[in-house]
This record gives sequence, structure tokens and C-alpha cells, in this order.
Amino acid sequence: MTESTGNAIHTIDLSKHFGAVRAVDDLTVAIPKTGITSIVGPNGSGKSTLVNLLSGTLPLDGGIVIIEGVGLRVVKAHESPQYGVTRTFQEVRLFEQISAWDNIMVVLTERRLIRSLFERVTPSHKETAERILREVGMWEKRDAMAGELSYGQRKLLEIGRALAMDAQTYLFDEPFAGLFPEMLERVKEIVVTMREQGRTLIFISHNMDIVRELPDHLIVLDSGRLLTEGEVDDVLSREEVIEAYLGE
Amino acid sequence: MSLITQAMRGLRASGPLRGIPRANVERIATILVLVWAVGFMLWQGAGFTITLTTVFAIWAILAVSLNLVVGFTGLLSVGHIGFFGIGAYTMAILASDASYDQLRTESIPTPDWPFFAALPIGIAIAGLVALGVGVVFNRFRDDIFVLVSFGFAIISFSFFLNLRELTRGAFGIHEIPRPAFGGWVLDGEVEFLAFALVCLALVVLICWLIVTSSFGRVLTAIREDEEAIAVFGYRVTHFKLAVWVLSAMMAGLAGALFASWTSFIDPNSFILLESMLLTAIVILGGLATIWGSLLGALAFVLLEEGMRFLPFLPPEFVGQARQVVLGVLLVVLMLFRPQGLVGRYQL
Amino acid sequence: MSARTSRIDLSEIGNRPRDLLAIVLAAAVVGYICWAISQSPQQALQFTFNGLSVGAIYALLAVGFTLVYSTVWFFDLYYGAAAAIGAYGIFYLRSGEALGGQYQVNDPTVNVVFALVTAGVAFWALRELYGRRLRDRFGRRSALGLEAFVGGVLGAYMGVVLAWPGDLNVIFAPAIGLTTLAAVAWLVRAAAGKLTMRTDRSGFAVASVIVGAAMGVVVGVALANAGGSRLYLSWVVACLLAGMVGLAFYRGLYVQIIRRTNSRLIMLVASLGVLLALTALTIIVFESAPRPLPEAFGSAPWQVGGATIKGFNVFAIGVAIAAFVALLLLLKRTSFGKSVRAIGDDEEVAKVVGINTTVVIAIVFFIGAVFAALAGVLNGHDTAIQPRMGLIMLLKGWIASVVGGIGNLYGAIVGGFALGLIEQFGIWNLAGEWKDVVSFVVLILFLSFWPNGLLPRR
Repeated sequence: MTESTGNAIHTIDLSKHFGAVRAVDDLTVAIPKTGITSIVGPNGSGKSTLVNLLSGTLPLDGGIVIIEGVGLRVVKAHESPQYGVTRTFQEVRLFEQISAWDNIMVVLTERRLIRSLFERVTPSHKETAERILREVGMWEKRDAMAGELSYGQRKLLEIGRALAMDAQTYLFDEPFAGLFPEMLERVKEIVVTMREQGRTLIFISHNMDIVRELPDHLIVLDSGRLLTEGEVDDVLSREEVIEAYLGE
Repeated sequence: MSLITQAMRGLRASGPLRGIPRANVERIATILVLVWAVGFMLWQGAGFTITLTTVFAIWAILAVSLNLVVGFTGLLSVGHIGFFGIGAYTMAILASDASYDQLRTESIPTPDWPFFAALPIGIAIAGLVALGVGVVFNRFRDDIFVLVSFGFAIISFSFFLNLRELTRGAFGIHEIPRPAFGGWVLDGEVEFLAFALVCLALVVLICWLIVTSSFGRVLTAIREDEEAIAVFGYRVTHFKLAVWVLSAMMAGLAGALFASWTSFIDPNSFILLESMLLTAIVILGGLATIWGSLLGALAFVLLEEGMRFLPFLPPEFVGQARQVVLGVLLVVLMLFRPQGLVGRYQL
Repeated sequence: MSARTSRIDLSEIGNRPRDLLAIVLAAAVVGYICWAISQSPQQALQFTFNGLSVGAIYALLAVGFTLVYSTVWFFDLYYGAAAAIGAYGIFYLRSGEALGGQYQVNDPTVNVVFALVTAGVAFWALRELYGRRLRDRFGRRSALGLEAFVGGVLGAYMGVVLAWPGDLNVIFAPAIGLTTLAAVAWLVRAAAGKLTMRTDRSGFAVASVIVGAAMGVVVGVALANAGGSRLYLSWVVACLLAGMVGLAFYRGLYVQIIRRTNSRLIMLVASLGVLLALTALTIIVFESAPRPLPEAFGSAPWQVGGATIKGFNVFAIGVAIAAFVALLLLLKRTSFGKSVRAIGDDEEVAKVVGINTTVVIAIVFFIGAVFAALAGVLNGHDTAIQPRMGLIMLLKGWIASVVGGIGNLYGAIVGGFALGLIEQFGIWNLAGEWKDVVSFVVLILFLSFWPNGLLPRR
């Protein structure tokens, strides 16, 4: 924990390829522990792949990920909560055929197999689930199947599920895409609250208004490589960013 | 009348998770099957009722245990009969009467254990085999899982048939004892039925505890999205393996009961077709509900016994006619109600 | 950085252990085969031949199965029933000869059901292919009547064929004659059109019909007098029936399910229901005891290099390869093939660009079922038939298609022959009843280490 105290996540020469396509190409990037970091870049620049690599959803092809000061050559999905990492998915992956309530509850309960067999819902579980469902505005819909909810509701529920993890580092893959203004405001509120609680937030977004407004730190990817990074205003005024991303 | 019209309207509009108000169909189906069962039993009298209920208890244990895998975990297994057979054969090999000279051919050594000594061994062996098989099968999903589970049923059948030194092959094993508590042997049909029902109740209770625990909720999440639940810190493979083994152990129990009840088993009770019927029952009754599996097993048993009384059906075709009806029902359900009669999950 | 930095996992090394294992296993297989040949070259030759002849049947099954799978992306379990329908179709039509006429089956219900299926399929085909032209010409109602009439006539014809199979060649003679007429007339006209540049071709049309009619009569009469042709005509009828039933299940059932849901497992379970019902119906009609089929040509064994070889098996291998080549030509050279590939890539897109997906997929199901039926027929002539043969044939075809590479036709035929050979050599030291175990163990090995099969789909 010496050199990387300031960073939540640090990658060294991270790479991932699908066939001949280098989705993430020797990427070395540091994500600061404090504040909100946004990852931007054109389509196919490797943003989602990066999130998938950091959360262990995809196996690494090369390089090292340093999370919480621990260097990993292999990130296992089921171990990511141990490093305080949790995430949402770009294509909203809820547990469709169980209720919204159970979607939250399932991440609150026991991870160890034998104990989970004997564990039943406790009042404290219920309390947390209710608090989170109210926070994302899904309390009224708690008994509905996740698959029956509208897109915006599903998105909120998925964010709620990540919140229920009570993690240190949150990876949100396009949390603002496809939302109506009202829901968008709610997600923004949640994000701001999380910053105030001192959590690390990393999100991908295409919405330039939000990118100007919310994050403290910006990472710009292009073709799987780091184009530039730094303070938001600073980065957005750089030539190469305008050329590669905004210019088109 | 209004119920029927409502049902028809619902059927037409049915899509995934939509359709008729769930409670209606479930109520109608439940009442129909129960009325059918009670009426049939009243008509046929006590002796028949006892046989029928015993058969039901064994099928119900199988169906409930398979539902843990198919309905709650989303692994469409068609090979559950293998574990049933392992339980039955372990019971037969360990407990069959040594003094009975098995037709003087291909006799096998038997330790002549009592029922309750062989039972835990049978369950344990079913569990161990499931552990080994599960480690290999864990990586498979969806239709490939169906294929390899077919494979498990075929392979286990081949072992029952061809491992003659152990199973006597097609000759089968005779004189499998009934359970005995000290000197009290459950020889009577009523006593055995009571014992089978106790076993069923135990299995239902265990399954209920499993599916209402945190473990059960994780299973449903695994069924919906394995990758997503892994991100939240669950070792998916361990959970899948655990439920697979538990389910196999219950099937092993059913097998031991079956062997003891019929007192004679041969490989023909454990063919692939029976396994497919079992999966059909589970889907028919309703995925991801224990009650659905009980209902499915009951309907299945009634179907077979009910067909014996159809005047135009020659008795040797009863089993086939049941299979036809089951196949057609399966098709109709997949069209209109993919979650089964009282199900909470559709494939 | 902490000490855990240097944690290394096996999966991080990539595919190296898997490749190593592949090499070791391949070496073991080669070693085993060498050992087997050194033990007894005759037996090795015999097993190779047996493996190839069984493999031919597996290959046929796998090719049809893969064709269907790579178009609709679900495993259609009806396929097993199609194999049984093929084999039992022969038995049904030839039961007068099979057991010396001791066990004759001819059930009016069966005849009526298949007549209805034929009528329905003919009606549907007419409507899909010529419906619009007929409506424009005769009006809606008359067109419908005409379609129904033609369907009914064809259905009744099939009913007659099934009801009096003893004179199959005589009953079939007019149909074959007419087909010959049409084919010859078309050929003559096409040839004439190529050879001359004349615009007025009515003379050629008349001439072509006359030539065609003459040929048709000759062929028809020849057929009616050739009693030996009955068995092979039965092949045609049985394969046609299995194909039509497959088509009917697609159009009548699977299309409805696809409209309601897009779950592949629901389709799989529905086809499981179909398989259960049809298998049981086969037992009800034919009883569950194994039956022989009448002897086809080439049943007498030859001795070649110490091995016993039957001409019929050589023929079966030829049929498998010929059917595969024909299918490939169909898929590569015609617009139908293009449509099939387009649907396999993306059905929605195919629909948007104007492909009548329902018709194309229906034809794919037809072809698939015909392949299965052909496999059932060839297998039935080689060994005895029994109602549950379909199930095991389905599984073998499924395994072969997975071992060969899911969704790849070349893989399917390679996988079929490979599975046949592996099975035969696998039971070298075991009894024959272990061969199902061998093939499933092979399947599980493949799925565990080479899930993409021998020839992966691109």
C-alpha cells in the first residue's frame, strides 16, 4: 500500500484482444481514489472492455491490475468484492425472473456456501433492502419481476443492486444512457451522494453535458489505448481529444 | 363460464411472463388434479389408493429434487434417472437377501445388510457420483447441458446393464428387503406407504428450507445470469455443484425406496425414456415451485392409472398412451404456458 | 506492492496446458491404433470398415441436424422421430414381405393421418409458392378452392399408396410417369431454347410434351412391371413422409412458439414433447419388439483382405457422401442456399431484405428430416429396427455434430465418420454394448477440451 495510496485502481500494460482486434492495448492508467472518474472515448475504444477486465467479467490477456494495493495478473469475478469493486452492466443485466426485492436481497446475503444454506432473511437485511429500494425509487415496484420493469426502472434497480454491495469502488457502465430527464436527475443525485460518502466512482458516458458537469477526472480512450487523462476542463480543451472524439 | 372465456382470452394474449392472472390457472389446475385424485381414489377403493400413493411418493421425491436443478438453478437435466438408479442398485446390492439364490446364475455376493444400513450408503454414493459428474458438467449450459445429461442417463444405464458382476445385468436383483425398525418390518403396504410419505415430507421440508434460504435465492440468480451474480462475490461453480449433489442425494433416496418397495429391480426401470418423462413432469407441474412438482407427479401417476380404465385401450399400451398424452401436454404448455401449471420460471 | 502481486493462475498461461493435453491424447490415439493394427491387421481392417459404415449413418444424421441447427439455432429433437419414421415407413409399406407376411400392419388411422399431413403440406406449399399468382388469375375464393382441391388429391393419393403398399410400383407408376414427362419436357424445351434462336417456340413446346409423354409412359410401364422396385419406392415414400412431418411440425408448431417466445430451451422442450409422443405412437402402432426389414441388395458378405464387407454398407457410405455433396451444391450454388445462410446469420435481417424466411426454414426442416429418415432406412436395413432406435440415433447425430463443430456442415460429416471410427476402435477390448458409453465419453472430452469441435464454425 505504499506507492498506490492515491489510486483506487492502477493498471499496467493491460491488454485484451478478441481475435485480431485489440480491444484494450497495453493500457497503463491510474484511477484516483477520491472523486468521480469518467471514461470516455468513441465507440469501440475499449471502455466497456476495460470495465469488464477490472471487474473480472472478462479474463485478462496480459498486464497487471493493481486494486487496493494488490497486484493481480488474474482478476476473478467472484473475488472482485474482496477488493471493494462492484459494477453495473452496459446492457442492464438484472435477474429477470425474480422480483426487484430479491434482486437487491441476493447481494446482501451470505457468500459462504454452507452458511448461506442456513441463513434466512434478517431484519437488518430487510432494512437495508428497503433503504436502497427507496433510494433508487423502486420501493413501490419491489414485488414486480425485474423483467417486467421499464428500461429506466431496470437501470435504477441495477444501480441499486450495486449500491447494496456497499463497496469502495463502483464501476458504472453507461449509467446515464437511455434515461428520461427525471430518472437521469435521480441517478445524478445518487452519484453525487456517493462522492460525498467518499467512495470511488468510475463511469462510462457518452453524454457530454454530464461529462462536463460531474466527474473530477477524465480518462480518454481511443482504439484500446490511453489518449489522454487529467482534469475535466483541461482534457476537454486538448487538441487530440477534440479531434478523436468530439470532432467527428 | 366467465373463467373459461377469461382463460381463453389470456391464452391468446400470452407471451413471456404475461397471460392469464397467475392465480387463476394455478387454482384451476390444482383443484382439477386434486378432485381427480380424490374421485379416483374413492372410486377404486383403499387397496388401489395405497399403491397409487406409494408410486406418487417416489415420483414426487424425484420431481421435487429435480426441480431444484431444473427450476431453481436453470440446468435442464434429463439424466436424473441415473441417480435414482444408483440409489436403487446400491440398496439392491447391499441389502438383497443372500440366502436367496438369485436364479442360480450370475449370482453376486451380497453383504445382506438391513435397509437402514444400506440407505445412507446409497444416498452417499449417489452424492459422490454427482460430485464427480458435476465437476465435469459444471461448465456446460443450456442445450449442451441437455445433451451431456442425456449422456449421463445413457452411461449410467449402460453400467446397470453391463456391469454384470455387480448388477446381474438384465436378470435384475431379487429379494430386496423392506425397512425394519428393530424387529418391526414394514411388510404391509400401509406401513410402507407411511414410511414413503415420511420420506417425501422430509425431502419437501429440506427443499423448502433450501429454496427459502439465501442459498436458494442465489440459485435463482445463477439461473438468470451466471456472470452477473459472480461479480457480486458468489462462487457460481460451488453453488451449482452443491445443489446438483443435494438433488442427486434425494434422487438416491427415492431409488432406495423404490428398490425396497418393488423388492426386484432390473435396468429397464432406469432407461432414458423414464428420465425424459421425469423432466417432463417437472416442467409440466411448474418450474421453481415445490408445489408444482408435487402436482406434476400426482397428475402423472393419475394419468397412468386412469388410463388403465379406458375401455378402448389395450392394457399393454397404457404406458405408451401416457407418454403420448405427456408429450402432447408438454407441447401445448410450451405454446401457451412455458412456466408449467403453477411455475414461477420459464426456460 | 504486497506479496500477492506474483500470484499466477493456470488459466493465465492461456491454452498451453490444453494444447499439451491435445498432443498427448492425439499421440495416445495414434499409439492405440498402431497397437491395434499390430495386434491383428484383419480385425483393424474390419473395425475400420464397420466404423466407416456406422459413421456414414452418423454423418447423414449429423449433416441434417447441423443444417437445421445452423438455420434456427435450436436442437430439434423431432429429428430422432424422423429417423424412426423413415425406418418404420419401410416396415409399414413392406410388412407383407418383411416377416413372410406374418406380422402385417396396415392401420386405416395411420393412412388417414399421413394422407392429411400430405394434403396439408401440399396445400401449404401451393399457397406459399403460387398463391398470389392463382389469386390474381382466378380470384380469392376459386384460388383457395383450387389449392384445397390439389392438396386433397395429393393427400388421397398418398392415402391410397399407404393403404395398398403391396402394389406400390403400380400405384406409383403414373406419378413417376408424370414426373418424367415434366422433367423431359422441361429439358427438351431448355435444350431447344439454347440451340435455336427462334422466337416462336410453340412447335417445340408441343414436341417436348410429346417426347416427354412417350418417355413417361415407357418409364411408368417399366416401373409397373418391375416388382423389385417396390422396396426402393418405399424408401422414397418413407423419406418423403418423414420430411413432410418435419415440415408440418415447423410450420404448425415451432413457428407458433417462436412467435410467442425466443427461448431456445422452450423450443427444445417442445420438440422433446414431440419426440416422446411420436416414439410412444410408434410403439402403439408397431409394438415394441425389434423387427427386421426386407433384405435390400448387397446383403451378401464379401471377403476383402480378411475382413467381411457388405455391399450395402459400401452403398450407405456412398449415399452419405453423395447426399452431403448434393446438399453442399444446393447451398453453394442456388439462391435458396444464400437465403439459408442469410437466415443463419440473422433471421430478422433476412426478413428485412425480402427473404420468405418461413418457406426457406420449412424447406430446411424438410431436408433435415429427409436426411434423418434416410439414415434410419440405411440403419434399418443394416440391423433390425425398434421404436426407440430414433432416440439413440438422435443422440449419435447430435454428438457427431458437436464433435465435428457445431453449425459447420463439413464438421458434421467429418464428425460423423470420426465418431463411427472412434466407437468401433473404442470397443476393441470391450464388449459391443459399451459403445454408447464410448461415444458419450468422447463427447464430454471434446466439450471439455475442444468445445468448438474438429472444424469450428469460422
